[in-house]
Amino acid sequence: MSQTKVLLVDDEVEFASALAERLQMRNYDVRTANNAMEALGLINTFPPDVVILDLKIPGMDGIETLKTIKKLDPSIEVIMLTGHGDVRSVEEGMQNGAFEYIMKPVDIGELTSKINKAKKKRDKV
Amino acid sequence: MEQNRNKGKILKHKLVDFMHNLFHPHDYLRVLGTDRYTSLKLRIILLDAILSIVPLFIVITISYFWFQQILKDDFRNQLKWEINNTNQSIEFFIDERLSGLRFLSSAYTYDQLLDQKILVDVFSKFQKEYGGLVDIGVIDSNGIQRSYTGPYRLGGKNYSSQDWFNEIVVRSSYVSDVFMGYRRIPHFAIAVKKDLPEKGTFWVLRATIDMETLKKYASLINLRENDDAFIVNNEGILQTPSRFHGNVLEKFKQYILPQENISVKEIKGSYDDQGMYGYAYVKNSPWILVAVIKSTPFGKIPKIFRNELFFITLISVLIGVTVTIIMTQTVVNRIKEADQERAEAIANTEHASKMATVGRLAAGVAHEINNPLAIINEKAGLMKDILEMSGDLSQNKEKFFVLINGIFDSVNRCRTITHRLLGFSRRMEMSHDAIDINDAVKEVVGFLEKEISFRNIRLELNLSQNLPKIVTDKGQIQQVLLNIINNAIDAVEEGGIIDISSNTKDQQVIRVSIQDNGSGIPKDKLKHIFEPFYTTKEKGKGTGLGLSISYGILKRLGGTILVESEVNKGTTFIVEIPIKAEAV
Amino acid sequence: MEDKKSYDLRFLHMRFIGKIIAGFTHEIKNYIAIIKESAGLIEDMIKLGIASKSDPDQYVEIIRSIEEQIEKTNSLFRYLNRFAHRMDNELSAFNVNESLEELIALLTRIANQKKISLEKDFQHDIPSITSSPSMLQFLVFHFLEENIARLDKNSRLIVKTAPLKNSIEVRIIPKGNFLTMEMEKEKIPDEILNNVIRQLGGSISHGSEEDTIITLPAAST
Repeated sequence: MSQTKVLLVDDEVEFASALAERLQMRNYDVRTANNAMEALGLINTFPPDVVILDLKIPGMDGIETLKTIKKLDPSIEVIMLTGHGDVRSVEEGMQNGAFEYIMKPVDIGELTSKINKAKKKRDKV
Repeated sequence: MEQNRNKGKILKHKLVDFMHNLFHPHDYLRVLGTDRYTSLKLRIILLDAILSIVPLFIVITISYFWFQQILKDDFRNQLKWEINNTNQSIEFFIDERLSGLRFLSSAYTYDQLLDQKILVDVFSKFQKEYGGLVDIGVIDSNGIQRSYTGPYRLGGKNYSSQDWFNEIVVRSSYVSDVFMGYRRIPHFAIAVKKDLPEKGTFWVLRATIDMETLKKYASLINLRENDDAFIVNNEGILQTPSRFHGNVLEKFKQYILPQENISVKEIKGSYDDQGMYGYAYVKNSPWILVAVIKSTPFGKIPKIFRNELFFITLISVLIGVTVTIIMTQTVVNRIKEADQERAEAIANTEHASKMATVGRLAAGVAHEINNPLAIINEKAGLMKDILEMSGDLSQNKEKFFVLINGIFDSVNRCRTITHRLLGFSRRMEMSHDAIDINDAVKEVVGFLEKEISFRNIRLELNLSQNLPKIVTDKGQIQQVLLNIINNAIDAVEEGGIIDISSNTKDQQVIRVSIQDNGSGIPKDKLKHIFEPFYTTKEKGKGTGLGLSISYGILKRLGGTILVESEVNKGTTFIVEIPIKAEAV
Repeated sequence: MEDKKSYDLRFLHMRFIGKIIAGFTHEIKNYIAIIKESAGLIEDMIKLGIASKSDPDQYVEIIRSIEEQIEKTNSLFRYLNRFAHRMDNELSAFNVNESLEELIALLTRIANQKKISLEKDFQHDIPSITSSPSMLQFLVFHFLEENIARLDKNSRLIVKTAPLKNSIEVRIIPKGNFLTMEMEKEKIPDEILNNVIRQLGGSISHGSEEDTIITLPAAST
């Protein structure tokens, strides 16, 4: 099975790089982006299977970015990264085609399980 | 036209303002310095009382005087009537006797009446009929009394030189003044002239009447204690005895009595000397009937009336005022309740929104922890992964150090956040006990006692008594005081003086002044002393944060710090604290 | 101008919230401190070359402890967040159990320090009520705090919720001995407590054995 390609979008550089490294260690092919522009740019050059998207990123609103991604390629699965109390954003995200959500701080096992599920779903399509 | 319109507008504005001020007083309109509701009540009651009592009194006064006038008029008419009646009786009395005499002078001839026997008979018959006759006599045209009957020896008396005889020649009837006759008894005379046209002469029939009868008539007038009724002649000589104005034949001087129809005039004397007098000229006689009434029943009635009136007025006023007070109390209390409820509702709403804001802020700040926490999580996780994957540390030492430093950075971020949260929560826990500022000062001074005495500094405390308690954060105020006093200690040399005083600046603010006679602060540096990190101390001593923190504290508590200073003279710090707490 | 009692209540309410936030924050600070120390320890251990030969377990242990603190912080933070949002609206429909969990989360550590076991006995199917969650928390917190202060070591303090016919009952049940100490801490006057429970439309009573019973009307839709 080919490596699952993951695009990690979060404005906290330290967080993104550490998490990316951990995922790499678990055999995922990971790229990181720190804002919406970067993310959308990368989607073109590095089409991911799964996008892990922090809802609070600078530039475009997280939801907007989600919508744009889904428009670009509806088969890309998006997992939302949220803090607490973002219930409404999560709901909105789910309504707009997000696959799942996971809360920060992230449990790595939970995250990988969700990424795998997302990949499976994408593969079916 | 324009001016008038403007004047009208200005007037209207003034009126509106007045009414407004009445119900929404500023402090200076407070009555008796009481709280605004009591002040409002007092103002309404006062206004109402004035508005109801003043017209009442006006009406009562007018009614009173009007009533008094009516009574006076009534009495005056009554007196006039009585005088008139009595006058008419006297006139009738005179007319009767004159008629009698005239009849006699017609019924009997001159010669007949010269006969003593007939004269006596006539006398007794006349006396029987009319009474009061003293004598009667016949006088010829030369004035000689030709026949006479009576108690006096008047036969042959010559009256030709007397005024009355000359008068009767012209007038044909005559009534005399009262005179003292023989034996000093007062009486008066009436006479009629009988003309004898065929002989071209006349004769006079004269009678003397005693005064008793006349006196009787004078006393017909209804007299009370201080009243007097009597008869005077044209020259004011009393014809009958009077109670208070002299005896018979004395002159009545009291009032001038110009000839008019019956006249009643008011006596305008002192309070005890009021009354009325009336008089009437008696026709066909030289007399004037006079009545002087001083018992003034018209004055007495009002006294009773006045008492009743006073009593009724008093009760009305009391009832009116009581009702006003009760109603005002009810209404203003209702207003007060409504105001309180409204203030309460507003305060509650503010509180709710404040709470919501607080909640959101707290949540917002706390949210920020999420990210650093997530970072720590990943870095730690990464370290774990590395350890689990390749147990050999030696290759990854550097990486670990980097990761651990990353964790430290995030930990610091967390600390900043928790610090903010704590500061936030501390603001809400701000104490609001009412504190005595003097106690707070003394506590701080106590804390610094050793230092002060060690340096031989003289400390003077001039703390005002009876300062109001202030609602503020004691701890923070003491922190500020500590800071400033410490600075003062550092500023003065050995043996310097620090003077701390407290007083009220005005109704809302308390002042604490800390004055030292140290080196002072030059003007150009003075502007900067509240800035953070500004210090005039040598490196290593003092952070320069004290005053800026103190300034911040005071600002948050709703007060301020002021400073005055002169080089080599000294410095004064003034801390102003509001007496009432500022809302968080 | 406003009623003094209400003024005091508002002030006490603010103070309560400050206290809770401070409480949470202090705990979080503690966990963060532990994290820092742990990280420092690893650093030192590496520097000192301890276990440079393949024995990563020690490090893993420490890292696990860090993760534990993170988890605790996280959970505490969730409660704090929930608590903070209770004030968004004065009146709202909420679950009593959840609102009480936040208080227990905060008070557990303090109770543990005094060796008092703070337990919850919640009825799961308790209906939600429409009321002021913040005020209820204020009230319950006061009683919990009071009991914790007065109870002796090794006591239990049970918070029990139960639905009744038309109401909900929150019972605070102390089980243990009371210390005979002077309550020097300022007590909230009864009239303010009564004011609060009146606003909530409920009642406070005391059962046998010093239980405190708060009754609230169930939500009327």
